[in-house]
This record gives sequence, structure tokens and C-alpha cells, in this order.
Amino acid sequence: MAEDRPSPEQEVRRLYEEAEARVGKAAERVVSRDSFGELLAMATENVVALTRMGFDAMDLVWSNLRLAGRRDITRLARQLGRTEDKLELVLQEVERLRDQFEREKKAAASAPAKADDAKPAAAKPATRGRSQRSST
Amino acid sequence: MNALERMARSPIAALEFANIVLTERDAQIAVTPKDVVWTHRTTTLYRYRSTRRAYAVPVLLVFALINRPDIFDLRPGNSFVEFLLDEGYDVFLLDWGVPDEADADLGLEHYVCDEIPSALREVRRVSGQEEATLLGWCIGGTLSLLHCALDPSTTVRNLVLLTTPIDTTGSLYSTWVARDSFDVDRVADVYGAVPGRTVDWANKLMKPVTNYWTTYRRLWQQVLDGEARRDAYQAMAKWVADNPPFPGRAYREWITWMYKENRLVRGRMRLRERRADLSAVEQNVLVVTAGADHIAPREGTLPVLDQVGSADVTHLDRPGGHIGLMAGSKARKEVWPNIAEWLGERSDA
Repeated sequence: MAEDRPSPEQEVRRLYEEAEARVGKAAERVVSRDSFGELLAMATENVVALTRMGFDAMDLVWSNLRLAGRRDITRLARQLGRTEDKLELVLQEVERLRDQFEREKKAAASAPAKADDAKPAAAKPATRGRSQRSST
Repeated sequence: MNALERMARSPIAALEFANIVLTERDAQIAVTPKDVVWTHRTTTLYRYRSTRRAYAVPVLLVFALINRPDIFDLRPGNSFVEFLLDEGYDVFLLDWGVPDEADADLGLEHYVCDEIPSALREVRRVSGQEEATLLGWCIGGTLSLLHCALDPSTTVRNLVLLTTPIDTTGSLYSTWVARDSFDVDRVADVYGAVPGRTVDWANKLMKPVTNYWTTYRRLWQQVLDGEARRDAYQAMAKWVADNPPFPGRAYREWITWMYKENRLVRGRMRLRERRADLSAVEQNVLVVTAGADHIAPREGTLPVLDQVGSADVTHLDRPGGHIGLMAGSKARKEVWPNIAEWLGERSDA
């Protein structure tokens, strides 16, 4: 029976882990409080304000050195992004027209064959919305 | 190992511990071979290479905006992508990329109304299949749901939502960011693209002791006991630390509409003048929740079960956390087979 008893070291580890878990739970309770949320909001506001000051100062330095600053590069990148958006729309339109053309070509080719076929088409089986709801 | 042996081993263990932590960026993640199918702005659509496709309906994976989608393909032997490929699915991945200040004007509509439909169009073109499965995780789930709610002509047959925030009432995030004193407009305006590190810091702050102390203490213990799994730890640590910026406008809309105004569950979410009506979602829907999810708590996901209009709705509730549910050590034996089984019945074998 003595062999089943945990060693002092195992006992220390167990006690430590229990304490750590309790501290962890306590910390989670602290961060879930309204007051912590308020502190976090204030801290975020301070960090954002400091960041803005830093950005503004850097931009001032760059513009006085007659170098492209953060805003200039961002503006150029946005213009490139907008051009890419337009190209994507053009590409989609080309693909749509190509698909439409292919469909019409196929329809034209199969039109005589369809005219001969008097049988109505079989109803397509439903692929969505099978009637079942479950929870496991 | 007795106390004396443990003490003697400590210097070597310290060296190994430091080595594991310092070299985590060298870990190989997301290594399953894939090809680029389509790109637009920062978004890239990939198709994974496969020699055995048993199911006709392809699967499009969509992840959140706050971490990289590499979690779907974490490491060989523990990769959801690898699992789906082995099961015989044609797998596509939508990667939002790494936005910067130039992408500050991208809002949720960019992802929901432009990128997801375009990706589905490319999936249809490349796979030759008319319909697809859309599998979204976290914010990716919300974006996927919005797409189905807004576009009645979508080609999505099956919609899988993994740990997806729907109703944010009472969540910890809500406590932090829904208050008036949290000025989301100022954050978005100043940063343009909200630094990913900030979002990661907030996520970790939800369980501060676990994330900032217990993780490292456990690793130390494992190293000391000679049981450290270097590859598993490093892969996850590398993924966790890889946080792309959140485009300013999308961040502002996400926080305001989802947390401050809780629009989605109230039926008031509008994108491009169209209302996202969840009752218009008629796809086969699988909702997977995690019992210990503190980022998207189960209670915040469950309302979707009653709100979608689909006649085929399945809910899987499994133990685990927000990420551990799908990427933890038990995922391969428990959650992934459940998802594959559900998909198998709806993917035309």
C-alpha cells in the first residue's frame, strides 16, 4: 500500500498545480469584471493617442526631408488596390460572357436533338434541405 | 526520476526549454502541397493536391481574420486538410493574407460579398462541380453564414460552422469592447490596420495565467520529465504568434455590429443595402461548438440553430476550447471523423 502513496515531490507538484489553477480562475474573474473593461478601454485610448503622436511626428520628419512618408505610400497602395478591384471585375465579366457563349453554343448544337426527344426531363433530386434536425 | 536526478538534469532541461521556445519560428507548418488558384488584393485561393477524390462536392475552408488559416493544416500527422484529403475530398482554402494600412478601407462586405462569392466561382470553375461545402471557423464561420444569408443564388450546398460567434450577449469580449468608453472608431482610424499582436494580446488576456504562465510551466515540466513534444508545441506556438493585422474598417464593423449592437442575431445586419436574414439560409447546416470555448462561447452560437431556415440542421457539441476542439490532440479521433461522416452523407460519393 505504501507504494501507492504519492512521493513528497508529487505531492508538492499537485499542491502547486492546484494553487496555480486557483490563481488562474481568480485572474479570469478579475478580467471579466466591468471595472477591468473600463481600465482596458482607458489604456487602449492612451496607447492609441501615443501611437497617433508617434505617427504624426514621423510623418512630419519624412515630409521635411522630402521623402515619401507612410501616408504617401498608403495612398499609392490604395490606388493599386482599386485598380486591382477593377481588373477583377473585368475578369469576372469576361469569364461570365465566355461561359454564356459556351452555353449558347452547346444549346445551339443540341437543339435539333432535343426537338426529336419528346420525353419530359426527369425532376432533379433535391440536393439541399433534407428534412432532418439532430443534435448530439 | 528522483529529486536529485531532476536537479542534475535541470541545466540540460533549461537549455532544451530555451531552444524549443527560441526556435519555434522555424517550425514547419502548413506544408501539405497546394496550388494557387486565384488571387485578389491580399486574398489567395488554394487547392490542395490530391490523387484520390472520392466525393464530388469540394470543400472550401474559410478561417478568421485574426490568425492565419495555417491551423487547418498545422503539421503532418495533425492536419485537418490532410485528413480531408485522405477521406477523399477536394479541398480548397481561402487565405485572407496579411492586410496592411492600404487595406484599411476593406469592410466586412469585401469579404462576404466579394471574396467568398469570387472564391466559390473559382472553385466551381476549377473543380467542375456546381455546388460546394463552405466550412468556416470562428469569424470565418460568421462570414460564411452571412454569405449564405445574403445570397439566395449561392452555390453552397453544405455549411459547416465551427466555434462561430453569432450572439455576443454576455461574452467577455462584449464586456470589454461593447462599452461606450471603448472608442473603436479611434482605434481603427489611427492604425488603419489594427495590429494583429493587439488582438492576440486581448485574446490571451482572457485567460492570463493559462496563456502567459501555465503554457510555459507545462512545457518546462515536460522537458524536465523528458516528455516534451517539440514539434507539437512549436507548431502551435508559431501559429498562435502569427497574427495578421485586422483591416480598420472591417475591425470597426465587426466590433460595432457584432459586439456593440449585436446585429446578426437581431436580424439587423445589413451589407450593401441587403439584410442578412438567417431564415434565408437553406443549406444543410452543421454547427460545431466547444464546451470550454471562451472566445466564442457555446451559448453565443446556439441561437443559429433556431434562426436558420434549413430543414437539415445538425449540432455537435464536444469538449475542448476554441482552437483545441479542431487542432488538439483528440481532434483527429473525435471531431474530424464526426465532421467527415456528416459531410460524407451530403457530398455525393
